[in-house]
Amino acid sequence: MSQIEFVLPGQVVKDVKSVRGVTILGPGLRQNEDQPNTICVTQPGKLYFKSPNVYWIEGNRNRYIPKKYDLVVGVIVKKSGDMLKVDIGSAEHASLSLLAFEGATKKQKPDVQVGDIVYAKLLNAHREMEPELVCVDSYYRAGTLGVLSNDGFLMNISLTLAQKLLDIQNPLLRSLGKRFCYEIAVGVNGKLWINARKTKDVLNLMKVFQITDQNAKTDLSEVNKSIL
Amino acid sequence: MTSQNQEVQLSKTILEMKFMKKTKEKVEKALEDKEGNAMYSNEITEEMRRSGNLVFVSTSITNCKNLIDGRLSFGGMNADIEKIMANEFAKLVEQEEKKKEKDVTDVEMAQGYSTLVNNMAKKFNKKSKNKNKKSKKGNDQVE
Repeated sequence: MSQIEFVLPGQVVKDVKSVRGVTILGPGLRQNEDQPNTICVTQPGKLYFKSPNVYWIEGNRNRYIPKKYDLVVGVIVKKSGDMLKVDIGSAEHASLSLLAFEGATKKQKPDVQVGDIVYAKLLNAHREMEPELVCVDSYYRAGTLGVLSNDGFLMNISLTLAQKLLDIQNPLLRSLGKRFCYEIAVGVNGKLWINARKTKDVLNLMKVFQITDQNAKTDLSEVNKSIL
Repeated sequence: MTSQNQEVQLSKTILEMKFMKKTKEKVEKALEDKEGNAMYSNEITEEMRRSGNLVFVSTSITNCKNLIDGRLSFGGMNADIEKIMANEFAKLVEQEEKKKEKDVTDVEMAQGYSTLVNNMAKKFNKKSKNKNKKSKKGNDQVE
């Protein structure tokens, strides 16, 4: 993983590396139609490259754009028949079928109410279509997905912090785990759900994430030390 | 003289005959394919020239940065989640710790180096002693 340069929308990236004619593009990039074999930048930020053929951009974008197979945290906003509408922070509400939960059948549906929080996977995400969520994997098992308990607390964080928390190299969640007894669900859409035994712990954790979000540029471990 | 490369073509009157029905279909299809190729070959090359030979596949940031599953539990808060974590998250953490760890600690490195230096020193000492002995022997023979 290496950073190449700072880029602005409209810039063209040449000398694209590929494996057997395939190049993988992450967020903020699209194929340039005017020139063959080049990429067009659509978002300001730092251009990153991971060998052999992956390119993406990291900027300070606040709007979440759904992508296939993303794991997100969402709030149920509407229930109509078998379909649920979920707010995942994208431009459009995502749809989630009541039958897409583990063990759900037509007769026996899970108890999900408006206002509940779910940890779900994006099955479909397309520019022109409503995003579609599921709470089961391809073997119809829930795994870590599903409805999150009502005791927890939901907060919004920046997309960059969400990505930082989900990076295995970042020890913040682990070191907090040594101090607090808590469970957490971090969605790549910038929504974070926490649950702990004591309300005080939840408040402390909330404060940790708020401060790390504000001091995203500074070293996270330093901030962590100052709070603990 | 007719060139051998030229394909043998059946005349129209023969193809019209009743027993030549299947062959007629075959010939007609081949002719159509030929015309189709000639028609579309120009367009295909133009389109290809514009889009290049690379295929671009879009993916999420999760795959770019190798992000982990965000549903975690610590300190026995949720036993089910921790069971799943033991399979995936724990392994990833272990790998990460290993990366950070040095293969050989500084103390071990220092000790290893000092013994190596001693060994080498002994070797050189032996060699020089041998040389001394040899030279003495040589001297004896001459005498």
